[in-house]
Amino acid sequence: MAVDGKNDSLTYTNPAMDLMARLPGVDIFTSTVDRLLTWGSSNSLWMFPMATSCCGIEFMASATARVDIDRMGTIVRGSPRQGDVMVVAGTITVKMAPRVKKLWDQMPEPKWCVAMGSCAISGDFYRDIYSVIPGIDTVVPVDIYVPGCPPNPEQLMAGLMRLQEKMRAQQRGEWTEPEIRPETEKMNTQPDIRRLLDDERDEGISQAQYDGSCSLGMHGNEHRRHDQVGNPVGVDREQGVEALILRAQAHAQAMEALRQEAAQEFAAAQAAKEAKAKAAAEAKAAAAAKAAAEAEAAAADDDASVAGDAADEAPAGDGETP
Amino acid sequence: MSLSIQPYSAEQPVNPYLDVDLYDPDADLMVLNLGPQHPSTHGVFRVKLILDGEVIVKAIGYPGYLHRGVEKLCEKLNYSNIKAIIDKNDYISPMINEQAVNMAFEKLAGVEVPRRALWLRSLLAEFQRIASHLIALGTFGLDVGGALGGGASAFMYCFRDREMILDVFEELSGCRFHYNTHCVGGNRHDVPAGWDRMVLPALEVIEARLDELVDMMVNNQVFVDRTQGVGVIPKNLALGLGLTGPNGRASGIDCDLRRDAPYNAYGEVEVRPAVRSAGDCQARFLCRVDEIRESARLARLFLAGLPEGPISGTKPNKGPTSVKIKEGRCYVGLSTPRGELGTYLIAGGNKGLSPYRLKIRPPSLHHLASIPYILPGNNLSDAIAILGSLDPVMGEADR
Ligand code: SF4
Repeated sequence: MAVDGKNDSLTYTNPAMDLMARLPGVDIFTSTVDRLLTWGSSNSLWMFPMATSCCGIEFMASATARVDIDRMGTIVRGSPRQGDVMVVAGTITVKMAPRVKKLWDQMPEPKWCVAMGSCAISGDFYRDIYSVIPGIDTVVPVDIYVPGCPPNPEQLMAGLMRLQEKMRAQQRGEWTEPEIRPETEKMNTQPDIRRLLDDERDEGISQAQYDGSCSLGMHGNEHRRHDQVGNPVGVDREQGVEALILRAQAHAQAMEALRQEAAQEFAAAQAAKEAKAKAAAEAKAAAAAKAAAEAEAAAADDDASVAGDAADEAPAGDGETP
Repeated sequence: MSLSIQPYSAEQPVNPYLDVDLYDPDADLMVLNLGPQHPSTHGVFRVKLILDGEVIVKAIGYPGYLHRGVEKLCEKLNYSNIKAIIDKNDYISPMINEQAVNMAFEKLAGVEVPRRALWLRSLLAEFQRIASHLIALGTFGLDVGGALGGGASAFMYCFRDREMILDVFEELSGCRFHYNTHCVGGNRHDVPAGWDRMVLPALEVIEARLDELVDMMVNNQVFVDRTQGVGVIPKNLALGLGLTGPNGRASGIDCDLRRDAPYNAYGEVEVRPAVRSAGDCQARFLCRVDEIRESARLARLFLAGLPEGPISGTKPNKGPTSVKIKEGRCYVGLSTPRGELGTYLIAGGNKGLSPYRLKIRPPSLHHLASIPYILPGNNLSDAIAILGSLDPVMGEADR
């Protein structure tokens, strides 16, 4: 796989190869070996099927008796360690995408990726759905697009032959035109189901989906292909980021306003509560004072009467006690 | 103390919610994830297996890797668009999926379907059943026999035969796979001239080769050892989990909507579903084989008795908004190669152009529900055979 220099962490360098390339005469040898290796690998493209749904059935059909792509040297292997080409056949959901990426990372270099079917290419009619990622090229770099729903086995075979040509051309040092995701037709759907390339489609949906699919631990290399091929999705994304930031700011402001409002309400409520409590306390205190005063007055009366009684009784008592 | 887990039986049921900590403190348990990307899980299905040595102690299924939100999408699409989307649900038998939603739409819209269309639909459904069962048998052979062992030949033979049916469909509708050949009130494509000259030899060849295939597999001691008595689903468990179709009939549930609640043209012919009682992998395999034979017989009947007349009761749909259903709700059940596919439709969304709600009862989800019950007690290698014999389709189970 040709890795462009955008993301340095992915650029593959081999010190031994660098040294060899600098030794005189070795380049003749290495180019010969390179040609041999390319001849070998382009004629033995072992496929690793990432077959998730309907396209996977046509993929299976292409490996069986009628079309029999085995005769091109493409054997289907169930393990990523043995595969050269990952054929993504079927819808990739948000739950499945991290696994696709993991399996892609497990495949040894050199490796290629074929997106088979419109679901793998762009998400197709499921693209608006919350759980489907809009195209596998947001997760792994795609070399060949094979459009169709599902593509016939013959179309997959043609795609693999295009891949072989591409490999040979790259070995010869020729510039190969990167494949561009086929244009999605403007569909006659209702206003709330808009295609990605539709002007009237809500950008927020695209952005949320796109970011959702890109934020699945994809190591930040998700825009590589789009920038390279000038895909409209990439352009959308640039505009979308600003929109997203603006929206986030607006959201933050709205939230702040709400928060302040709530704080004011809370403060007002608190004040009211305090005032009420104070009033209640005052009333209570007044009542208590009144009660105390009454009690005092009553006590005074009682004292008086008691005193009177005492005065009445005292002489008798006084008379008795001594 | 050592507990040994026995496979599920009516006398000694397996506890699918077993607390692994209580299993055996000394056991050296291992967790193994089968799937989601495994060539033998028939789609993206993940099973978390807890193994004691090679014996499965507990199995937990995790569906949802192919959740495409179809039911939600249908609430936004027009009735004419929905048929094309529903094709992709059960992608091994798209023809029958189309019929299910179409029947629901027709029931609510009160559209009369001409007799010829009904017979043609039944004929197409039987073809689709053969094609679907051929995939099931082929991939089951691949699972049991191993990719490079004898199983690959069964896989190749089955797919070779299936291509003939796809040719028949391509001749009729122009598509190999997702057909969209039904419309509300009838069919879109009438039978092309000389179609029967293509159909009858295909049926004959398939039946002849099926005998060969069954001979090759059922008389093979390795196949018998790996399937007989493995993954038994007793009748009470099958009833409890709602298994239908060949999986349920292999466990002794004599139920087939083609016979018990006839739709299309099934009321006019005699349907004899294959029923077995063993409930193991081999019974499920043989049920499918018998169903292919039965479907071939029915297809011949339907082809011979195809009535004359118009193919559609309504004018051809000119635009996506030509079907309008104002209100109503209905349930339509029909028999797909996997079991009872139910469609519950509440009309009235978007000014009568879209459903308010479309609920699908996928038979595969019910089959997958049996996995926590029947995997424990079996060996790991049997898990592959059991999963293959259930023949789930994840597009339908996850929707
Ligand atoms: S492109 Fe079509 S056939 Fe392929 S996975 Fe998507 S819906 Fe299925």
